Amino acid sequence: MSVAIEVQHLTKRYRQTVAVDDVSFSIEKDTIYGLLGRNGAGKTTVMSMLTAQNFATSGQIRVFGEHPYENARVLQRMCFVRESQKYPDDALPRHAFGTARLFFPNWDQALADRLVDEFQLPMKKTIKKLSRGQLSAVGVIIGLASRAEITFFDEPYLGLDAVARQIFYDRLIEDYSEHPRTIILSSHLIDEVANLLERVLVIDGGRIVLDERTDDIRDRAANIVGESRAVDAFVAGREVIHRESLGRVSSVTVLGTLSAEDHRQLSAAGLDVTPVSLQQLIVRTTQHAAESAPATTGEPADIDEGALR
Amino acid sequence: MSRTLNVVRMQLINRNTYIWIPLLVLAGAFVLSLALYAIIPSEGIKVGGGAQAPLWYFLVVGVQALTLTFPFSQAMGVTRREFFVGTYLTAAVTAGILAAVFVVGGLIENATDGWGLNGWIFYLDWIWQAGPLGAFVFYFLLAMLFFSAGFWSATIYKRFGALWLTAILLAIAVAFVGVLWIIGRANAWGPVFDWLGSQGSLGLALWSLVIIAVLAATSFVPLRRAVP
Repeated sequence: MSVAIEVQHLTKRYRQTVAVDDVSFSIEKDTIYGLLGRNGAGKTTVMSMLTAQNFATSGQIRVFGEHPYENARVLQRMCFVRESQKYPDDALPRHAFGTARLFFPNWDQALADRLVDEFQLPMKKTIKKLSRGQLSAVGVIIGLASRAEITFFDEPYLGLDAVARQIFYDRLIEDYSEHPRTIILSSHLIDEVANLLERVLVIDGGRIVLDERTDDIRDRAANIVGESRAVDAFVAGREVIHRESLGRVSSVTVLGTLSAEDHRQLSAAGLDVTPVSLQQLIVRTTQHAAESAPATTGEPADIDEGALR
Repeated sequence: MSRTLNVVRMQLINRNTYIWIPLLVLAGAFVLSLALYAIIPSEGIKVGGGAQAPLWYFLVVGVQALTLTFPFSQAMGVTRREFFVGTYLTAAVTAGILAAVFVVGGLIENATDGWGLNGWIFYLDWIWQAGPLGAFVFYFLLAMLFFSAGFWSATIYKRFGALWLTAILLAIAVAFVGVLWIIGRANAWGPVFDWLGSQGSLGLALWSLVIIAVLAATSFVPLRRAVP
């Protein structure tokens, strides 16, 4: 498996605040990643540093084996339109796309045109007069049509209606299967994007708390559903992270992979197993990590990059 | 290189900033000056400062080139060096167009004896002493000086914030007053004015190259560490 991005001991400190705290990870080529975490967890800061838009306080970043700073060779293979992206004052969407076409070697104009239609993006309004959803659409269109080898989507669904969000997810998967590339999707709405993700990086308080294949995470826990007493008997002694009851039926989420013996027991007891939502699992895991982690020295990194500009 | 030229095209997306507003400012200043000259009953030479207006506007252009386009250039994967060189190139092209308009205006003015009103906007004797080419260089460098000052301020602001920008501007003003005081102390005003006179408009314009170079260099360094 070849590596697109390699990060070692990356730290970003703003005066007293540690936004990213000694983070190491690597991003494989041609994979869809979810960069998940709460607001202010450090997602945008990490993406900014990977694209050399912001500077690390310490640590190493390698993109395609090189440092991205002032490196046009590397930068033209990456696309990062931030959630709060600014555009030239009187630019129309057409101007933004026309410029992206100049700088991204793999730009697909036909795809951009098609997305403009599908998102019903008004092309005669200046970008600064667009609604939040339309502004997100501009970023999404640049991200998709640039076909950059590494594409970042920073909370791309903000303000988009349900139909537009579905269009984005469909086109992303469609175009990704025809033109495989590395995609890093930052989100705090985990279930919304869960089906797209092959791997997840969960960042919390400036640290990576989870770096795993989505399928492996899903195998880590299961919902046991059935008659309350039978469920209770089965889960006794296991680590329960969630419990819901309705009348005499219970649904209990247990951690740990189920063995063949477990499955035999379950069917004997007439219990069903259903998959756990990624969001729930990550929320529980993050809370677990926060509780078991030693008290951090710095302030909690609950700052948004924009607030420091 | 082609990426740097693409930065020029990106800056020129904003036709309003670089082309239409400067031309409108120029046309407005021109028409208003002529109207004033026509109203003034005197037959004597009438000279106005209306032509300065588009030059001042280059200060604004310098600010906007950074504040409005730098963050977008970062999303396009443009390096800070490409952005800097491309943006200065854009300024040079537009300053060149403006200077050419001024020279053509001055030639017409000279041929028509001040638009038949003895009113002068572009053709000011002391600027034109070195001929049309000298006037071109003068106007071009003056526009570049205004642009550089605007771009420099915006870069310092972006990198260090309003407090530092104000402090630095204040320090420069204090230094300037200090120089004036020293000249006065040394009773050197006579020689200073003699020197200024001997340089002529072209000489002064070429001296402004030094200031432009200093401004450009001191905006490039913080730009290399600026965050969109």
